[in-house]
Amino acid sequence: MWRTIWKSLMSRKRRLVGTSLAVVLGVAFLAATLTLGDTLRAGFDDSFALNNAGTAVAVRNSSELTIGDGTQRGDIDASLAERIAGLDGVRAVAPEITGTGQIVGSDGDPIGGEGPPTSATNWITDAALNPWELAEGRAPRDVADGAPYEVVIDRGSADTGELAVGDNTVVLTPQPVDVVVTGIATIGGNDSLAGTNMAAFTERGARDAVGTEGRISSLLVASSDGIDDDALRHAVAQQLPTGIEAVTGEQLTAETLDAVGDDFLDMFEVILLSFAGVALVVSAFSIHNTFSIQVAQRSRESALLRALGASRRQVLVSVSIEALLVGVVASVVGLAGGYGLAIGLRKVIGIELTSSAIVMTSGTIVVSMLVGVLTAMLASIVPAIKASRVAPLAALRDVAVDDSGSSRIRAVIGALLTAAGIVTVVTASSSSDGALGRAGLGSLATLVGAVVLGPVVARPVAGLIGGAVAVARGHSGRLARRNAVRNPRRTAGTASALMVGAAVVTLFTTFGASIKATLSDTVNEQFGGDLVISSTAFSGSPTSPELRSAIAELDEVDTVAGIGLAGITIDGRATEATYTDPAAFDDVMDLGVVDGSFAAMTPGQVAVSTQYAEDHRLGVGDTLDVGYLDGASDEAVVAATYDVRTNVGDVVITDDDWTAHDDQAGDVAVLIDLAPGVSETAGQAAVERVSDRFSAPEPETRDEYLDSVGGQVDQMLSFVYGLLGIAVLIALMGIANTLSLSIHERTRELGLLRAVGQTRRQVRTTVRWESVIVALFGTIGGVALGTFLGWGVMRAIAAEEGFGVFDAPITQLAVILVVAAGAGVVAAIRPARRAARTNILAATAGE
Amino acid sequence: MDTTTAPRTPQRADSPTWVEPAPFAATAEHATKIYGRGSTEVLALDDVSVGIPSGRFTAVMGPSGSGKSTLMHCLAGLDTLSGGRVLLDDVDLGTLSDAELTKVRRDRIGFVFQAYNLLPMLDAAENITLPMDLAGAKPDREWVDSVVRTVGLEQRLTHRPSELSGGQQQRVAVARALASHPELVFADEPTGNLDSRSGGEILEFMRDAVDRLGQTIVMVTHDPVAASFADTVLFLGDGRIVDAMASPTATRVLDRMKAIGD
Repeated sequence: MWRTIWKSLMSRKRRLVGTSLAVVLGVAFLAATLTLGDTLRAGFDDSFALNNAGTAVAVRNSSELTIGDGTQRGDIDASLAERIAGLDGVRAVAPEITGTGQIVGSDGDPIGGEGPPTSATNWITDAALNPWELAEGRAPRDVADGAPYEVVIDRGSADTGELAVGDNTVVLTPQPVDVVVTGIATIGGNDSLAGTNMAAFTERGARDAVGTEGRISSLLVASSDGIDDDALRHAVAQQLPTGIEAVTGEQLTAETLDAVGDDFLDMFEVILLSFAGVALVVSAFSIHNTFSIQVAQRSRESALLRALGASRRQVLVSVSIEALLVGVVASVVGLAGGYGLAIGLRKVIGIELTSSAIVMTSGTIVVSMLVGVLTAMLASIVPAIKASRVAPLAALRDVAVDDSGSSRIRAVIGALLTAAGIVTVVTASSSSDGALGRAGLGSLATLVGAVVLGPVVARPVAGLIGGAVAVARGHSGRLARRNAVRNPRRTAGTASALMVGAAVVTLFTTFGASIKATLSDTVNEQFGGDLVISSTAFSGSPTSPELRSAIAELDEVDTVAGIGLAGITIDGRATEATYTDPAAFDDVMDLGVVDGSFAAMTPGQVAVSTQYAEDHRLGVGDTLDVGYLDGASDEAVVAATYDVRTNVGDVVITDDDWTAHDDQAGDVAVLIDLAPGVSETAGQAAVERVSDRFSAPEPETRDEYLDSVGGQVDQMLSFVYGLLGIAVLIALMGIANTLSLSIHERTRELGLLRAVGQTRRQVRTTVRWESVIVALFGTIGGVALGTFLGWGVMRAIAAEEGFGVFDAPITQLAVILVVAAGAGVVAAIRPARRAARTNILAATAGE
Repeated sequence: MDTTTAPRTPQRADSPTWVEPAPFAATAEHATKIYGRGSTEVLALDDVSVGIPSGRFTAVMGPSGSGKSTLMHCLAGLDTLSGGRVLLDDVDLGTLSDAELTKVRRDRIGFVFQAYNLLPMLDAAENITLPMDLAGAKPDREWVDSVVRTVGLEQRLTHRPSELSGGQQQRVAVARALASHPELVFADEPTGNLDSRSGGEILEFMRDAVDRLGQTIVMVTHDPVAASFADTVLFLGDGRIVDAMASPTATRVLDRMKAIGD
């Protein structure tokens, strides 16, 4: 039996290559994702370990709060240094003063801020505690009052900003601080610490720029020879007052790695894995189709084997083993491909880490192989069972492969599932709690239901599409239509893969359009001002409050309001709040105030969203305990409740309240209302002159703002499309594969048609249009599905978050359809050519 | 044929160790087969009762639609009856499960079909031992070699079916049918696709197998010349046995066939 299986496989080598390609791509994607994640993680780990290599223990404030995308930690008393320095086992201590600081390059543009933090810190003099090496120049020294501070910057920033030793520039903290570059540093031979930007002042300089008198961010402790880090940590901890903690260098590294994971790596991996999942689902479809067709074509063989005495199980096993071997070989190739892909992706990501060695763990190998093999096997179960059920009689008669029926059970299950999914999606937004989860579940059900229902609707729908083709292309078109509908199960199976891909692409397209539409509505409905200065960088410096005051002084400007992020605790709960000048803000932005007065808010008062008020059972007049990072806490009274949470979140405090507790306060957006009679151009020019002085982003009109944010959405979408492209490619390969197999199956028919008078060109036309009909069937289904799901998800988001508008970009959807039709044509090129070359005699005479 | 490699049971009547074989290798009792339902109903076999004599060459003839193929399919366990029963050496095939039927086909029956006898990806040698490979049994090498020599395929054992002529392919099929020492060989129009010379060779082999090895062969055919190689010819018409002829000649068979239509 084994020999039969082996020979069977060998004789089918070429066909199997096409099938396995789908698994190869899916596995490659999966392996690349996992490997990339592991590689980046290892790289970060090495970098952070290097950074903390000389630090045995670090002393710091135990409380930290999340503000926006980052966390801020409270500071500690500088006098702790003396207390710790005298301890046994401590060789040296060094204070660390760190805060946000963005270096401005020689061209006036701030460097970095696209993700990795930008920091201003102090240059540590102890060589063991300072992981950096000076590559050029010298360490900074204290300067006279009024002179530019001396700084050492990392080589990465120096290269990006084209700064050299001796150059004068500015560091935004967010106030612009004049500096002169005295040195350029590297860390462990790398140009930067994992892509971050650093400006290192003297201790005094750092305190002036980002610190507070008498306070430091943390204390770094180096141990004497032979002292265990944990033991030292314990000893140091005994000396610390409450609220201050000690951690070892290793713990610090682990923490930082976790933080990076939470912020970036984990989400990155999840996104890529979802795409790998889509690719694998599509390849499963592909394999299922190909195996189905192959089994059908081999039914005579199976029948002969059964007639000669092979048991059902033997036939089932032989098909399954073929699938197993396809899975194994394809997975191995896929792993190799994934490795290469990971190398390429690593270059694209471009974050500089200590080691760039690709890490492919045994876990990745095992998982990828398992997934590849399982996909191949699961996809081939049904065809294998069908093969085993072939009646031995089929060996004697020329049994036509009749797969045209679709069972009633299938129709019922498919209809139920789809209906259930649709209902769930539509009603998902009836309650704001968990609306998104329900919408997601309903989407999945609808998708699966649509796939199950495929063969049932294939005949009428493909018939309809084919009707148009038949009218357009005459007899060849009619034949194409007939071929497309004669076997609804196969048509639907082939098209399903494309449908899944098209649905996901459409989903994201409608998403992007909806996000842009939502933004447009938000801005137009709520924003009453004329210009916006928004720092669109993720981790760059916010703009200085002095910028706001400078703009307010302009004649052309009527009102200026700034929004900044505030990390506070309310009644002990960590809360992300916004701070602003209520009166000015009310002038330029409509918050939909429901109760109380927002504009008249004074320090000691807060405003909350109606959502927040509901959740915490608050009303105007209630008192809250507000805590700040510096340890202070105040009582505040709720002065107003508002509806619109889009721009300011759930809680708003006054800027006076915030700046009293945060030295580095900065705005993330500045809203400007021009004076009446001032033209937009004039006003914009005037404001721009001021923002240039502060190296702040340029002011944008409403339309310009929408354009630039829209541009970011588009950028993200292209990345998504790139990833989805792989899945769509697999689906299209599936169509080409299925088509060529079915051509082979129809050799006799084709021979007959050619004998009776169909020209080669007509044959090619027929095959081509059959492919187009199938491709369109899949795509139209996918687009319709994707649009519906996009609508459902946006509605759910609107229910949960309070905002969200759905927009179906008709032109883009039409483009998707046209591209699909084109892809159908391309997929048919080779099969059509082969069909046209059918040898008439061999086809009509032979078996 | 190499007589030094003795088969398992000596079968010639004049041999001192002759054992009288059972009268019938297979019997059909009141066999009825109906295809289709309602208005498309076709009565393929109409209450057929017949025995296939053991150790003899039996031909089954009839015009198209007479039920000859159906009868053979049912006797061979490839199809099931609507009524009556088929006994293969005392075993009622209708009582067997699919797995048991499969084993019967594998171990006790040999098949020669009109076309598509061989698996295209196996060579001749592998095709010949296929049923035994399926059973996981070791073939009797001496026996297989002598069968191969009988059909004259020694030089062609490593060739694929696509490299063999039609006649050679049928010889491989005959070799396979004989190689596993089945109780019964069913041949469905084995010479239908062959020229008269190749066809004649095949019939000679089958005749030889019956004469010297005591093999039981049932052959469905429409060719009077092929039928003349048999010991008995059963004539079917409209699903019923209409006549039986012993020691047939081509002319007598042809005449009788013409009469069936009347």
